[in-house]
Amino acid sequence: MHGWKGRRLRLDLTNRTYEIEQLSVDYFKKWIGGRGFNSDVVYHETWQGMDPLDPDNPLCFGSGPLSGTFAPLSGRTTVSCRSPMTCSNMDTAIHGHGDTNMGGAFGPFMKYAGFDQIIVKGKADKPVWVFIDDGKISFRDASHLWGLGAKKATIKIQEELGDPDVKVSMIGPAGENLVRYACVLNNFSSSGGRTGMGCVMGSKNLKAIAVRGTKPITIARPEEFAKLAWALREKIHNSPSAIRRRAEGSMDLFDVGNAIGINAHRNVSTGFMPGIEEAYGGMQWAEKFLFRRKACWSCPVACGRYTLIKEGKYAGFSCGGPEMESLCNLGCRIDTYDIAAVNVLCGMVNDLGMDSVSAGAALSWTMEAFEKGYITEQDTGGIRLEWGDTETSMKVIDMIARRQGFGDLLAEGNIRVAEKLGIGQDIVPHCRGLEHISVDPRITMGFSLGYAMSTRGSDHLKNYSCVEFPGCAKSRSYQVEEIFGPEGAKKFWEDFPRELNELDTKPVLCAWSEKNKCVADLVSCCCQAIGSWGGAGTWQEAYYPLLVAATGIDLSPEEVFQSAERVVNIERAHWLRDGSGIQDDTHIDRYFDEGVHDGPFKGMLIDREKWAWAQQEYYKTHGWDELGFITEDKARELKIEDILPDMESGKKIIRQWLDSDKKAVTPMFVPTGLKK
Amino acid sequence: MALKEERVIVIDPGKCAGCHSCEMACAMKHFGVCHPYYSRIRIQEFRNVNTFVPITCQACEDAACIKVCPMNARIRLASGAVVTDEDKCIGCRACVYACPFGAPVIHPDTGKTMSCDLCMDDELGPWCVKACTMQQALKFVDVRDAARAKGRDFAAMLKEQHEPPHQEETEFSFSFSVE
Repeated sequence: MHGWKGRRLRLDLTNRTYEIEQLSVDYFKKWIGGRGFNSDVVYHETWQGMDPLDPDNPLCFGSGPLSGTFAPLSGRTTVSCRSPMTCSNMDTAIHGHGDTNMGGAFGPFMKYAGFDQIIVKGKADKPVWVFIDDGKISFRDASHLWGLGAKKATIKIQEELGDPDVKVSMIGPAGENLVRYACVLNNFSSSGGRTGMGCVMGSKNLKAIAVRGTKPITIARPEEFAKLAWALREKIHNSPSAIRRRAEGSMDLFDVGNAIGINAHRNVSTGFMPGIEEAYGGMQWAEKFLFRRKACWSCPVACGRYTLIKEGKYAGFSCGGPEMESLCNLGCRIDTYDIAAVNVLCGMVNDLGMDSVSAGAALSWTMEAFEKGYITEQDTGGIRLEWGDTETSMKVIDMIARRQGFGDLLAEGNIRVAEKLGIGQDIVPHCRGLEHISVDPRITMGFSLGYAMSTRGSDHLKNYSCVEFPGCAKSRSYQVEEIFGPEGAKKFWEDFPRELNELDTKPVLCAWSEKNKCVADLVSCCCQAIGSWGGAGTWQEAYYPLLVAATGIDLSPEEVFQSAERVVNIERAHWLRDGSGIQDDTHIDRYFDEGVHDGPFKGMLIDREKWAWAQQEYYKTHGWDELGFITEDKARELKIEDILPDMESGKKIIRQWLDSDKKAVTPMFVPTGLKK
Repeated sequence: MALKEERVIVIDPGKCAGCHSCEMACAMKHFGVCHPYYSRIRIQEFRNVNTFVPITCQACEDAACIKVCPMNARIRLASGAVVTDEDKCIGCRACVYACPFGAPVIHPDTGKTMSCDLCMDDELGPWCVKACTMQQALKFVDVRDAARAKGRDFAAMLKEQHEPPHQEETEFSFSFSVE
């Protein structure tokens, strides 16, 4: 088999055994890679109402067909399982699909060791780490690593093995202490943050997986592949957006974000922060703090940063990262201009092993709750968190990771904190229990719809397309026809430029982009390269030819796109099985009632009527029914008929909830007319 | 004596971001597969401090590997590159131990050594250098410029220490100097 390795490794931590499974070409054709077979396994090996911390929850590490090859941008790894962090708004005990994508080099090394996917099940009786040395698997005692941060633990493992090139994927103290939004890290600081994969890893008592691989990946048509890879590399080398991304990192998005006023500020209550460019802008940041760039495997761009603080209170501090989301969520979101301190916060969060978005959300929710008088020092054990207080924030972050005092509560994630305290539900900026990233959902409706419809809770990496920005639409005009069809494209240009908060075109855009982004995850390449900075062009130009040349399979672009649709549908089915459909595809009341506080779009909010229309339009585009459930026709078309009985039982749950008097956890807008 | 007109690969570890594209390119070029072990250039990682050092054959003028090889298998090509003649090599690894950089690497399948041939048969030039276009940690330069560029960089560093403090307006500084 070329491109792929054709093998899947199943680790059973309870019995400390393993099993190697051979995978067929047909299986690869159906699911392609990374996120594909992860989502398949996660759906089929979990069940309705399963507790994510159940030892049987399959924690999957998946790499794609291009992972570890000469193809540029191919260092990504997807980690998936049933998420302990995300939940339905009906009940926080109802969980759903969770996955996260990390850079670094773990995926490539999994393949060098001979595995496309690693599935971890069971629970060890005491802390262990697993060493995969090509085909040899050993379970080792991790008691001396338990409690160590990412950096120290990785160094210890590498020293123990006497090999600095071993790739280690691991959790920090936050994962050990079951912080719901703990992350999985590899290469010291390349983290898969969202949806709490680290929490599940911690619940299995698994500190780390180390991989050494010595077998090469073979290519079906090497000469053609090399030519294509060079063409794509050349394109990236000459792309102005890639050059900018290299110089500024993902922080290059701050100035455009603030110009439109969408940078989530003050617990996503407003989208504008005056003077953010000077404080957070990519060039300014690089001048002050950039020690050296950091790249994922086989990526010529190197948008990753390594921080060294040269002067001031935190002089001498160094860490891997941050990127734009971390800076925005631990800085802008808690309203501070002290960037040095924000860098330290980012470094701490990484080393402790937490999702920087949810960690920032925990801080900012507490700050707003204090401001609004929802909570007092009595609730927090004497800690007072006020806007911009970075020093107390550091203390609280440490408390969260170690689940001490008030941190124990915050470690549950905003929605559960509000539920437990019985206050502040109205200011939890979330969809499906996962807090919003650094963009205000009231201004750009593409983001807004994307948050609500994403298959892993509020997130833009699943289905965002920047074609909604007039500038991007112009520079990617070739995509407009692909998205909207000839008729739709004509109409699109007639009304061009459109207002950002108009919902008209967004359902179609969002549904298309969901599959578009998924293709990048399937082949394990960077979704940003065909997304936000877009230097690689479309996936049809960039990834498809490489996929075919590397694997030698005869898949058409349409079939690849259908595979992506299949993956999106199976992830959606995971939610639907537990009854989470239309009532969760929405936002909290705040974004429908309270306008943006400041900036160029002051006063803007989401329109309820239009939102209800957009929801239905989005379902129609996907071929789903009015409750957002996958129809029989669609399931048959995608060859996932086995989900149909689950859809029926899921519908029962949603109908029961709609008919009952049970209130939602947070006040969210549910379109009227659903109740019978 | 004629001036040398060879070109060499110059390494600047300060610019390496650790993406290993050069390794992937080298393995692809010479073996059509993807794995760092099949590459003749290797990135040595010190990832905990985000420092990466590319190691490749420096094609030394007075090469220790050529002298130490018991089979005379280390040979210099017309391009200046020093490579292993696989037909003669017995895989004793003497060149590896003698090389001050540890540049010759072992072919994982044959056990014989291999080192950079500068991709002289290819119009793209050395693939590793090409793969490093964005980061510029590897450059392919005339052997005489190799020294010049390094000297220039060092001089620029010294200049910062010796140049007068940056002054925005010349007039302003004059008014002070009069006194």
